[in-house]
Amino acid sequence: MSGFDVAFGWAWLIPTLTAVAFVIVGVGGRRMARLEWGGWVAVAFSFAAMVVGILVAIGEMLAPGSYTDSSVTWISIPGSPGTFPNGVQLDIGILVDPISALMLLVVTVVGFLVLLYSIEYMHHDSGLARYYAELSLFLTAMTGLVLSDNLLEFFLFWELVGVCSYFLIGFYYEKPSAASAAKEAFLVTRVGDVLFLLGIFIYFAVYATSGSAPGWAAGGFKFTNGSAPFLAGAMGGNTPLLTVAGLMMLGGAAGKSAQFPLHVWLPDAMEGPTTVSALIHAATMVAAGVYLLAVVSLFLGFTPTDQLAIVAVGGFTTFFAATMAVVNPDIKRVIAYSTISQLGYMVFAVGAGFTMVGLYHLFTHAFFKALLFLAAGSVIHAVGTQDLFKMGGLRKTMPLTAAAFAIGALSLSGFPGSSGFFSKDDILGSVYATLGTHPQYWPFFLLALLTVFLTAYYIFRAWFLAFGGDGPRDATLPHAHEPGWTMRLPLVVLSALAIGAGALVFDPAFASLLPGIGVPPTFRGADLALSAVSVGLVACGFGLAYSFWGGGRVFELSESTWAARVRALLLHRYYFKAGYDWIGLRATYTVARAADFVERYVIDGTVRGFERLFAGLSDGLRRVQTGVVSDYAAYVVGGLVGFLLLLVFLAPWLLQTVGGG
Amino acid sequence: MILEELAFLAIAVVAVVTALLALLTRELVHTIIWIALFFVDLSALYFLLQAPFLGVLQLGVYAGAVTILLLFGVMVTRKRIFSREAATGIGPGPIVLAGLTLTFLALGSEELPQNGVVVHAYDPTLLSQTLFNADGPWLLLLGLVMLSALAGAIYLVREGRE
Amino acid sequence: MSAFSPAGLLALSGALLSIGLFGILTRRNFILLLISIEIAINAAVLNFVYFAAFAGATGGLTGQAIAVVVIGLAATEVAVGLAIVLALNRLRGSINVAEAATLKF
Repeated sequence: MSGFDVAFGWAWLIPTLTAVAFVIVGVGGRRMARLEWGGWVAVAFSFAAMVVGILVAIGEMLAPGSYTDSSVTWISIPGSPGTFPNGVQLDIGILVDPISALMLLVVTVVGFLVLLYSIEYMHHDSGLARYYAELSLFLTAMTGLVLSDNLLEFFLFWELVGVCSYFLIGFYYEKPSAASAAKEAFLVTRVGDVLFLLGIFIYFAVYATSGSAPGWAAGGFKFTNGSAPFLAGAMGGNTPLLTVAGLMMLGGAAGKSAQFPLHVWLPDAMEGPTTVSALIHAATMVAAGVYLLAVVSLFLGFTPTDQLAIVAVGGFTTFFAATMAVVNPDIKRVIAYSTISQLGYMVFAVGAGFTMVGLYHLFTHAFFKALLFLAAGSVIHAVGTQDLFKMGGLRKTMPLTAAAFAIGALSLSGFPGSSGFFSKDDILGSVYATLGTHPQYWPFFLLALLTVFLTAYYIFRAWFLAFGGDGPRDATLPHAHEPGWTMRLPLVVLSALAIGAGALVFDPAFASLLPGIGVPPTFRGADLALSAVSVGLVACGFGLAYSFWGGGRVFELSESTWAARVRALLLHRYYFKAGYDWIGLRATYTVARAADFVERYVIDGTVRGFERLFAGLSDGLRRVQTGVVSDYAAYVVGGLVGFLLLLVFLAPWLLQTVGGG
Repeated sequence: MILEELAFLAIAVVAVVTALLALLTRELVHTIIWIALFFVDLSALYFLLQAPFLGVLQLGVYAGAVTILLLFGVMVTRKRIFSREAATGIGPGPIVLAGLTLTFLALGSEELPQNGVVVHAYDPTLLSQTLFNADGPWLLLLGLVMLSALAGAIYLVREGRE
Repeated sequence: MSAFSPAGLLALSGALLSIGLFGILTRRNFILLLISIEIAINAAVLNFVYFAAFAGATGGLTGQAIAVVVIGLAATEVAVGLAIVLALNRLRGSINVAEAATLKF
């Protein structure tokens, strides 16, 4: 037993540490006049959690493919032969396997850096106790989620993630737009949550009623590697029910990871603090959806129909979101759309069967996306606006931030050698290799490829607008300056990770966290051409961005052309939000009116009708009760006579008819 | 035989007539007189049915005690002892019911043997043996009921109870 | 020794019962009500007495024994009924049962 085996046993400490921070800051923070210490408590606990997370990950690397599950039984229903042969056992447990170790690494590192960054970034805000408590709870939820050992526990933490995101997006709850954005995020992801829950029900039903359930732990409804770790398609078969269950899982993931058509909440989630955006977009909330797909594809398996649906959703979302990022004037929203787009890549890869490649991109994306958000936050902190067209020339006053943003942009667009380059080209190359057997993936592959160009264009457009040129386009902006060390340190660390994290996969020890990923196919001879095309597209995007926006230029689009109409369409986000509002207001309101009518007149009418009927009946009966003894005696005599009548006439007739003794 | 049947017929007619008169007369005191006659008449029927003990009992308890009690009640509740009573009925319904009941009983009686039944004389000591050695403690229970009824009656008429 | 047809006796007791019921249903004076009840009870006692004779020595004298008990009970009932009459008279100044119509909800 090596020291790192012990680390597995300590994995439960990670969510516990942040939960303790949540309690301390949440309960105690309000009491203190100066709330700085609350932030430091949260940072300290998240640092401890990060250390444990890194130890767990290292332990997993030293024992490749190891699978450590410690759980207690929560609910146990014994099976019965016939309809319910397997029974159901629900556990609450901690599962440490390669991919959860990888996710722990991402979540705890990014979480720690974001919390550290928050110390200065949030310095001037009020409600800091709430902020740090919720952020700690968010980390608890996310680490709990990746350590879950069964779908139901997964779902519990999944909901906790959802509610934390609601709190944090609505952090500036006095602002109506923030409050409504929080509600929107909660409600839209709730659509996915319901689908997810339905999917769980189906899996339960299939599992509990099928005669044999290979790949599942005996009697337990949990993630397990059984004898052969990470066997895809453990449930087997392409039955309609399993297809539906898979689609439900896709629905849940689409809600959480903001995939088409449930993408609308994510750009509006920019109403929260930038640090929250960084955490949500890099490591926690949206990663949960992709992680769900990865877990399901590893432990339960998707049917081919599901896979095509997932590829379609992912590939389309990738392109769809990127187009909206092209015209947006808000620095945070550009990055938000890029998140949706990049999540589309991951979903695309998982759907095509390359789960590990998708998780690899999730890993690299976490760092460069956190870097981009924190750099953007640094800019916003300095100039006090999010409007790209008011900024300019910031590379002179904020060289470190400019460099960090540039590194993030290069990595995002897939500049050769950056982490994004390896993972993105791994996705494209992997899918490209399957196109021969799966020609139906072609259109989505082409969309994904085209997105490489769009990505390079919109992210460098943002960079040129914010940092290029000679000075701010809006002279009223305050003089920008570099932030303090607590904000600079995360930028530096994340810059290093954004460059270097991709190459980690070449280390066999690290690659064991992504079992089966192998060496990125980009470096096999057959895919060099594809890689060249991809790099060429990046260069084209960069060139176009430079020619339109480079050197302080502002590209003006004449109003009457078709391009202006397209621009308006993109700025209105394809009118999706308006459409959802219409559904919410008109359609739902009409249904509600109809239901109200039914409720008021049909249901209540029936109830009132019965009420009147019986009130009338009882009023009639009341008059029978006169209080005069003679009348009562008359009733008695009447009853007696009736009884005699029955006895004399009816009883003999009955006996004859029925033929009784 | 024919004499006894004639006697029965006479007693029956008197019983029905006195009972009806008792209920239909407007003078409460007349009612008491008619009902006394009714009780006496029934006692004669008991003698005819070879039940002399019951006949005596009927004379003593009904014709004697109950009649006096009723008369007493009339005296106490009436300011004038000869006061008229309005016969407010609740319609012909009860009479129809009574008629129907009679019809049923007549119908039911067809099931019984139509020929006469010999009624034997008996020794009154046999009755006392039956009363005292029967399966249940009849007289004991009767005594208990009468005692509690007496207590209840006293409670009801107690002074100062409004 | 004497013989009676059951039909005649049953007709008599039925007639008396009906007269009693008639009185119970139509009279409003409490004392008349009591008298009606007495008539009905006597109709029933008559049946007991007759059927005791009908059964003869084999049936024992249970019917007559019951008749004794019923007569005792009837006398008791009259006593209690008169007590009620007195209480009612004192309470309401009237023994009209229609006026004592509090026996309702």
